[in-house]
Amino acid sequence: MSISLNNLSKRYGSTHAVENVSAEITHGSLTAILGPSGSGKSTLLKLISGLEAPDEGRVIIDGDDVTDVDPRHRDIGFCFQSYAPFRHMNVAKNVGFGLKVRKRPAAEIDARVKELLALVKLDDKASRYPSQLSGGERQRMALARALAIEPRVLLLDEPFGALDAVVRQELRQWVKVLHEQIHVTTVLVTHDQQEAMEVADQLIVMSAGRVVQSGNPLALYESPATDFVHEFLGPSTVFGGVVTRPHDLELVSVYDGAMKGRITSIVSLGFEAQVTVELSDGTTTWVQLSRNELSKMGLRVALLVGVRRRTDADF
Amino acid sequence: MGKGRWALRGVVMAYLGILIGLPVVFMIYKALAHGFGPFWSQITQPGAISALKLSVEIAAIAVPVNTLVGVGAAILIARHKFFGKRAFDTVFDIPVAVSPVILGVALILAYSRIGWFGAPLLRHGIMVLFSPLGLVLATMAVSLPYVLRSIVPVLLEVGTEQEDAARTLGAGRFRTFFNVTLPSIRWAVAYGVALTIARTLGEFGAVLVVSGNISGRTQTLPIYIYDDWDQRFDTLGSYSGALVLALISMAVLLVLAMLRKRERRLRVDLA
Repeated sequence: MSISLNNLSKRYGSTHAVENVSAEITHGSLTAILGPSGSGKSTLLKLISGLEAPDEGRVIIDGDDVTDVDPRHRDIGFCFQSYAPFRHMNVAKNVGFGLKVRKRPAAEIDARVKELLALVKLDDKASRYPSQLSGGERQRMALARALAIEPRVLLLDEPFGALDAVVRQELRQWVKVLHEQIHVTTVLVTHDQQEAMEVADQLIVMSAGRVVQSGNPLALYESPATDFVHEFLGPSTVFGGVVTRPHDLELVSVYDGAMKGRITSIVSLGFEAQVTVELSDGTTTWVQLSRNELSKMGLRVALLVGVRRRTDADF
Repeated sequence: MGKGRWALRGVVMAYLGILIGLPVVFMIYKALAHGFGPFWSQITQPGAISALKLSVEIAAIAVPVNTLVGVGAAILIARHKFFGKRAFDTVFDIPVAVSPVILGVALILAYSRIGWFGAPLLRHGIMVLFSPLGLVLATMAVSLPYVLRSIVPVLLEVGTEQEDAARTLGAGRFRTFFNVTLPSIRWAVAYGVALTIARTLGEFGAVLVVSGNISGRTQTLPIYIYDDWDQRFDTLGSYSGALVLALISMAVLLVLAMLRKRERRLRVDLA
């Protein structure tokens, strides 16, 4: 199911949380709304879900204008950042809640809950209570609960925000696989660019309530529309007055066509090394090298080098 | 534990002893000084029985009504924005902020023959003052805020996310309230109800003012105890009545302590 957002605005008092946002989310895609905290991304998700009403603009889901439709009739699955489990219900009751509301027969609910718990790998936890689950398990329960009603759209608010690094990584992969299995149009909100690049097939980058750029992750990384997107989507540095990626720069020993500079620090991060160079024009930049390049060139602090764009760099 | 701690503990215990411990022990001693027989005959006197019955009847009306009003008002305050919310919130604290006697006097002014409500009601043959109806009103007034004040902090702490989740899953207001909101505040409600019961059974000032103290008709247990003491110098009767009241209150306090434990565990769960 596709989603169209047309000129959405939402203000809280005098703050413009979301300002004149338009975006198209294609059917079956996994779209990440990416932005720093306070950029309005969570508000935008709430506007899609109907939990917040826009001051202006329309929300169209699958051709239906749902702007004035209560969230309970929008057929959306919403996963909260805190997962919002029903604490006094066990896992099976949580997952079956939406079906019970829809007055499905008990046998059908049981069967569907079983199927979903198998899908999210919680079959053995059906009678546990949320307080007895780990963070990752609660997250998967929340997903199963949202999926139970066969939503037209799945909305995830900072889905991995509260998890530790290992579980986070695991769940990201798992969500991607799950999305390939069930193919429901999914929108997730995150402030983590790496997460967004890894999971999503479409990005919507927001800043200060506005959409700055949208498109597929690689295209945005390669040709960011603004310095903000450039800096937000990956490592960046300034060279010759232009924001650039540090892996698009290289160090050379000859000064031919390169800007002269002196190495001020070398930080080795396993495979990658970050070399900071004070340039002859007084600015400082840093260059990302592989460990091999570093050792081959015999670089050390205080060495004079030339810095230039890699000739194979894509500009 | 250092010396200072022991000293502090001693001071607190002595303070509690003087204020509560000694008087209660003395009261129990006096009530049972002549054995269980005289105590039993005192508390089974017709006056005592009817006073206890009236107190329980008043509680049976005031507690459920204040529970419903308290839950409703708590949800309004914690979940809705409306004009005059601050004032609304504050009004509920008036009963505990002012002396119950003042509440009683205010009720008399409103419901007497010359009062705003009194005159029209009397014309329809409804007499509020010096009747059980007046006692119920006075009791409801003084025990108004307890349920509300127990629930609001819990509602704010639980937040709206579970309710929002229920909504996105298709649940309407009633289902969300009964299946999601109420279960998450149930211990707070129980705690508020226990406080309301304790206050309802023990209320003296406001009730005395509006009751007219008609024996067998508008005499609640606390008033009966005071009356015994003050009018008839029947000290055994008042000691015995007081012991009954104290036992009821202690039972309520015990339940309260258990609920507080549940509530704490629930809060740990929420963290």
